[in-house]
Amino acid sequence: MKKLLAVLCAMVMVMGLMPVVLAEPDTSEHVKIVYLVTGDKPTNRTYEVLDKINALLTEKINAELEFRWIEWTDWQTQYNLALATQSGDIDLIGTATDWLDAWPNTQKGAFLPLSEEMLKTYAPKTWESVSQAHWDLCKYDGQIYLIPEDNYAQWTNHGFMYRGDWAKEAGLENGVHSWADLGVYFQYVKDNKEGVIPWDANGNGSSYSPQMAGGWQTSHTGNIAIEGFPVAIFYGVSKDDPYTLSRYYLEGDELVEFARTMKAWADAGYWRADVLNYTGDVVAEMEEGATAAHQHHTQTWTGERTTMERKQPGSDLGFFYFGEEQKNLISLNITHGAMAVAAQSKNPERALMVYDLMRNDPEIYRLMQYGFEGDMYTVDENGLFSRPEGFNDSTDGVSFNFWWGRNDGLEYRNAQLDWDAILALYARYDEVKIDYPYGQYIYDNSMVGPLMDNLSNVYNTYMPRIVFGMNDDPDALVAEFRQALQDAGIEMVMEEVQGQLDAVYRK
Amino acid sequence: MQKTYSAQQQKRGGSNIGRMLWQNKTLILMCLPAIVFFFVFSYLPMPGAYIAFTNFKYNLGIYASPFVGLKNFEFLFRSGQLTLLLRNTVLYNLAFIILGNVVQLFFAITLNEVSNKGYKKIAQSIMFLPYFISDVLVSLLVYNLLNYDYGFISHLVRSMGGEMPKVYQNASAWPFIIVLVNLWKSTGYGTVVYFAAITGMDSSMMEAAQIDGASAWQRIRYITLPTLKPTVIILFLFAIGGILKGNFGLFYNLVGNNSMLFKTTDIIETYVYRSMMNSFNFSQSSAVGLFQSVVGFFIVLGANAFVKHLDPDYALF
Repeated sequence: MKKLLAVLCAMVMVMGLMPVVLAEPDTSEHVKIVYLVTGDKPTNRTYEVLDKINALLTEKINAELEFRWIEWTDWQTQYNLALATQSGDIDLIGTATDWLDAWPNTQKGAFLPLSEEMLKTYAPKTWESVSQAHWDLCKYDGQIYLIPEDNYAQWTNHGFMYRGDWAKEAGLENGVHSWADLGVYFQYVKDNKEGVIPWDANGNGSSYSPQMAGGWQTSHTGNIAIEGFPVAIFYGVSKDDPYTLSRYYLEGDELVEFARTMKAWADAGYWRADVLNYTGDVVAEMEEGATAAHQHHTQTWTGERTTMERKQPGSDLGFFYFGEEQKNLISLNITHGAMAVAAQSKNPERALMVYDLMRNDPEIYRLMQYGFEGDMYTVDENGLFSRPEGFNDSTDGVSFNFWWGRNDGLEYRNAQLDWDAILALYARYDEVKIDYPYGQYIYDNSMVGPLMDNLSNVYNTYMPRIVFGMNDDPDALVAEFRQALQDAGIEMVMEEVQGQLDAVYRK
Repeated sequence: MQKTYSAQQQKRGGSNIGRMLWQNKTLILMCLPAIVFFFVFSYLPMPGAYIAFTNFKYNLGIYASPFVGLKNFEFLFRSGQLTLLLRNTVLYNLAFIILGNVVQLFFAITLNEVSNKGYKKIAQSIMFLPYFISDVLVSLLVYNLLNYDYGFISHLVRSMGGEMPKVYQNASAWPFIIVLVNLWKSTGYGTVVYFAAITGMDSSMMEAAQIDGASAWQRIRYITLPTLKPTVIILFLFAIGGILKGNFGLFYNLVGNNSMLFKTTDIIETYVYRSMMNSFNFSQSSAVGLFQSVVGFFIVLGANAFVKHLDPDYALF
């Protein structure tokens, strides 16, 4: 008897020492994995490509992929509603910490925590390719919730696209490199290009306020934006002192100077008088030569430069990036795109297996990103891909909108893009960029939620008027805005946020 | 009409419900879709209003989420904007209800006096049309009429040598614009409702009045208007329950994020949207909705009691 016990004991101990051998995933049952993605339901060849991918997925892991589109109309509401009302009807969720509320949704219980064992077993290639440091940035409360798109170089920092040809005419030989240059450029267009609005903006959109106000701010201070807040007024002081909150919106002259400049620009007619209610297609206007600038990000510029060259030959579309004057530029956070598994998913294991293939299987990846080789694209000896003559993306292309795990290892560069110009800009970025300093910080809304909502209202009430110079007295308007922030409880909120930052970074 | 009347008689007489239901089976059958609709979409989800008292977590569901009492109601009351919001919401709704009904009545009666059948039909259709135009399109129409740089009216004013005011920067113009747009949109619909009520009138009264030599004005004053009174009161009682609820689609599309106009155009819905568009707090927004509904409920009760006090026949219940 004793012998038996001893043997048992030994066995238990040995087993405890053995590495955990995980069972082969069970793929006997055919399942459908529903992939929630932002974008309009495509009318091109996406579904044809999907059939091919599903044949591959069925063969490899006995699963298939199905789309659930969150169309761009009212996408923020629809996206959050789909997450809130999930009932096992979605499995994979494309998300992001900066533009798709990944952390608030994590806190609200929308996503499944992903254990290391799960990731190792069901998404082994992805697990291997993402570094431990990057996994740490995807944790909330010690558990991984997001799979980051951390192997894809792109820049989504905002700024102004402008026409290089007109900038030269305006005497800006090297193009626009500051807000002051931008003013010169706009004035030149106003004076010399009949019928062209220097900058026609969709002021009705709510994203202009944080983009423009933040653009001026990072161009005139060393402030660094902290992501994940319902109101874009939380910035760190500088790269040398990132974990102290900036008081830019409460005191100092830079915001006043911004308001004055924008007021002057509005009075000079750089944009339409009723900009706050305008909803036109401003990109199309630029392509038709009806407006001279467009405010968006670098990634958009890379494609738009080619389009503009085709539609306005010689336009030499340039990009002035916000922060250029101060060389204040932050690399893209690795969770600007990320995949999550739905909390209520009935097949989280298979969902991870599908994701692993989407991200790492060359055949599936390239089908998703480019379509059928030969028929829809060709690759030359330099690894550049081209579309056939007369190819129209909206009818002949493929749109998986897979922005949650793109992989530079499997990407082809687009031969149609102007890589000399793009790489030149990227090189300038690389000289000054710093890593996003707040990757580990996740704002907790539970203490000051109602105050934050008040601030949100104040910001959305005053900022559009400051940004587009819609006021009689910019100094007075900024003073009023600052008073309203005080009345709404900004100091209490700042104190809370500072405390939360300290808890993460000043232990 | 007669059947409902007999049903009421029986109810008063206290005879059994089964027989009453049987006798009115056709009417009840006709009501069934509406009853089912309200049951499924208004009564079944009602327990879900509990979400307003919770810190809602997606993975726990409404009923298992932590209970937080009245915390979600705080933000509206602490905003410092409540007076302005209530004033705007209530005044707009009063303007919509009162002006709307007057204009609708006017058109219904005028239409009724028109004898040309073809004209009547066409006029009705044209008046009804704006009701189907979405608020998004309406806002585009308004923008293209009124915007300063390229608007149709701006061009017109300038071509006649005038100076166009910057409408989109002038808050005091918007109560008129919004009420006007709402009238334009809703008049056709309401007119048809009143017109139907007029058509349903007992024609023998009209004939008798005509034989007695009553003028058109006298017929309207002493026959049409009094006959319409119950319809007006019922529609008014229905409308008043929603007096704290703004038409978000209309206001948001016309005004958008143009904060220069908020002083006269901000209603509860647009404020809630602006405060929470980035935080997606379902509990807080439900709390506001619940607050509006509960207040509306008591206003209906009050208004009904008032009507009952004046004339019990016209009360809803």
